[in-house]
Order: sequence, then C-alpha cells, then structure tokens
Amino acid sequence: MQLGEFRAATACITLAGVFGVSPALADDRDPHDWLDRMSNAVQTINYEGTVIRLENGVSEALKVVHTVRDGVIHEKVIVQEGNGLEIIRNGNEVHCILPDRKSVLVEEWNDQSTLFSTLPSSDIRFGNEYDVAIVRRDRVAGRKALILAIRPHDGYRYGHRIWLDLETGFPLKTQLIGEGSEAIEQVKFADIDLDSDIQLSALKPSYSIDSFQWYAEPRRAVRRGIQTDWVSDELPRGFAAVSIQEEQLPDTEQAVTHILYSDGLANVSVFIAAADGKKVAKRSRVGGSNSYSLVNGGYRVTAVGEVPAATVEQIARSMRRK
Amino acid sequence: MNDAIKMQLSAFVDDELSDNETDLLVRRLGQDRELRQQVAEYLAIGRVMRGQPQVAGSERLRERIIAELGDGPAEEPQAPAPANPRLRLWRPLGGFAVAATVALVAIVGLRQMTGPDDIVPAEAGITATAEDTGYTVPNGPDDLLRQYYLSHGETSSELGANGINARLVSVQLREDVIVDREAEDDSDPAESESATQP
Repeated sequence: MQLGEFRAATACITLAGVFGVSPALADDRDPHDWLDRMSNAVQTINYEGTVIRLENGVSEALKVVHTVRDGVIHEKVIVQEGNGLEIIRNGNEVHCILPDRKSVLVEEWNDQSTLFSTLPSSDIRFGNEYDVAIVRRDRVAGRKALILAIRPHDGYRYGHRIWLDLETGFPLKTQLIGEGSEAIEQVKFADIDLDSDIQLSALKPSYSIDSFQWYAEPRRAVRRGIQTDWVSDELPRGFAAVSIQEEQLPDTEQAVTHILYSDGLANVSVFIAAADGKKVAKRSRVGGSNSYSLVNGGYRVTAVGEVPAATVEQIARSMRRK
Repeated sequence: MNDAIKMQLSAFVDDELSDNETDLLVRRLGQDRELRQQVAEYLAIGRVMRGQPQVAGSERLRERIIAELGDGPAEEPQAPAPANPRLRLWRPLGGFAVAATVALVAIVGLRQMTGPDDIVPAEAGITATAEDTGYTVPNGPDDLLRQYYLSHGETSSELGANGINARLVSVQLREDVIVDREAEDDSDPAESESATQP
C-alpha cells in the first residue's frame, strides 16, 4: 500500500469512527432507499404493539393496532393513561372516543398517512437543507434496527432520527431533534408484532358508545388556489409557498388568507386576517410546534409550524404586501 | 448508558435498590438528562406491562429528590391563571436555581406518570409565552390560535406530514372544544340539539 492510500484508508476509518458509521454498513442501501422502504412498510404492514411517547420529559403509553384491508387503513390507538382516549380509524372516518366525557368526536382524515408516519410521503423529497445518513445499527423492541439521521444544515428546522427495522424497514422509533441534538419528541415501540393476523374485532371500541354524545368536526370553508398580494421577503432558505387558500374558520365570520410554506419536510402556515383588536398570544407552543403573531398594517399575521420558535418569528415578521 | 446503570434503573423501578444506591442514582439523575428520559420510559413500560396505576420506585424517587433540595417540600411550578381554566395552560419552569429546576423537572415528569390528575399534561394545551407588555393567554372556544393550529395540522396532513404527536395534539385541542360546547349545551337546551349530531 502506498503512503497516500494508507493515509486515505486511515482517514476513512477515523471518520467512520467519529461519525459512528460502521464499516460493515458501507455496502448497505442508500439512505433514500431506506426512506422508500419505510414509506412502503408503514402503508402495507399490519402491526400491533405498545408505543411509548415522550415529550418535554413526559411519557405516555399507547396500545396500537393497525391493519390494511383492500387498501383501506384500519387503526386503533388507546391512550393507556389520563382520559383513556381511543382513536379508531376506518378508512377516512375517524372516531375519537373520550370515555370520561362519554363523547365521540367524528373527524375525516383525507390523507393516506398513518398514525406513525412522521415524514412526508415518498413523492415529496426534501432538497438541499438536510443531509440523510445511516448512523449505526441498534436494537429496538427486541428487533435489529438501523438508525437513519436527517440533519438540517441550519437552525431554522428540526432534525429527525429514525430507527428502521432491518428486516422490513418499519420505523420502530422516531425522534424529533432540536438544537443541541436533544430529542424534543420521541415515539418508540416497547414491543411490536409485525405482520400479525389482526381480527377486525380488535379494532372495535372498548366501550359501548351508543349512549355517548356524538360531535361532528366543525367544517372549515376553504377556497383553494387564490391569489394574494402577501409575500415573504426573507424566507429561511429552502422554504417556498406550496399552497395559498382562503378559509372561513369555524365559529368565525372573518375570511383568513392561509399560505403554506414548506421546505419539503417542515411546514409553516401563515394566516393573515384583518386585525379585529382581540388579543392573541405573541408566541405560543404546542408540542414541537411554535407560533408567532403580530399586527402589520391593520392585519394580524400569524405563523404556525413544526419548526423552532425563531423560524416562525422570522417568517411572520418578513410578510409584506406587494 | 452502560449495562450496570440499566440494571440499577431496573432495580430502582422494581423498588429493589438499596438506600445508598438510590441516593447515588438521584444525584446522577440530577445531572443526566438521558438517564431521566430512560427512567421515564422504564416507569411507563413497567406500568403498562403490570397494569399498575402506580410504580413502586417513583414515589420514593420523588421523596428523595425533595429531601435533596432541603427541609421543606419543593414548590410546584405555578401556571399563570388562565382566563378559561378549561384551556389547561401550562408554563415552562422558570425562576428556580439550576439544581432545583433539574430536580423539579424529574418530579413533574414522575408525577405526571403516577398521578395523571395531579398536573396538567404539557401537550394538552397551548403554552403561551410573554408578550411585550405582559402575559396574554388565548381563551374561549373560538380562540384564534387554536383554530390556526388545527387548520395548519389539517393542511399539512394533505402533504402526508402528520405523525402521532401531531394527531394527538389535534385531538386534545378539539377535546377542549367539546368541553366548551358541553358547557354551552348546559346553559341552552335548545342550542344543545342543534350542536350535537347522533
């Protein structure tokens, strides 16, 4: 071996050690292939198990059953603590059962994403704002897994770590990563049975809900594809408007312009409505989502998204009329 | 995390750790965020597996942490008084010494697991932070921010980008709407019939 080759080989081994990449993975699939495998797995594999959800140091256990029959998704999620919430999905119709309130909230989910999809569907690809890398192998819920890291290039968006089942590509554990590499949210299977034979009876409510009060989801009136003279003059890099619509929110008479910005992975909505003098919290947070609200030229501009607080603030402050 | 620590945690959760070892573990928990997260996971898993409403080690740990902090019981973090108590606001910790804050986070986390009625889950409500001139809280069933969060979630889900956390937050935000509607129903029977659907 020439000195140059030796140095190159040594450098590769050192870098592999620094970044935690096992040399044994060098011949593994491309990280994007693993994302495709994951996308396919969550839509086709039947599973049941126990999920531990962690957020802000608070944990919550969920029992989950999921099956796909004739292309229709059937799911049941039971929150094991607190109010014992049950979410039952049959196709697009979703019943949220609140046993302590003896109530059922009926919703319609038009998307095909399942409860455990944490990333956009495979036809949406994030661009130059993130790197995707295979980190190392691990073990989750007694199964061999591969850790995939989606790392943002700046502080305007969160990162993700996904533990994919080596055999099937199913995501056994996911983390939303904030600044400082700390997990903001984590969803992890404590135990899982993949491709189990699930009977439809397992997807029925645990309660007799005939006497419960039923509530339909309040409807938003939406007019899509409208034009607006509102633009951002300082969007964080990689974000672009992917939809513009006008909405009539439930219980309000005011029309709101809703612009959705996306970098392919993270989404931020900007809502613009005539300011009516009512107070709105300038900053707020729900889970990993943040909002920032201000009044600009007689309009209330509010940005909401699963991004750091600085990102929604910059986007809200950058909105201008052409 | 090495196997020895994992075994120590497991023994602690099973209430099989000696007092000396528990003391050491408490000190280490105060300095190690990952370890605290691991304890939270073990406690939750243990409870699910055993069907127990309480996990043995959690109350002991809480008592130890309080003892570490001094003579009296540690103060709970106080949430600002919300305009509408049903909105269930929760505010991040602030104003404590660093050590106390770390320990209190552990207590709060454990209390949320062992006594769900004791404290409001952080993810159940909107956490509002200070406005320029004071603290403003969203309130009421037609609260604008809540509508915006829900609308954002629905529109984002059309891109296929909605995970379990977003789903649960969405359901919990809607649950508040139900509570408010039930209050309306109580006050106006005529309105009740039109608001609900069989």
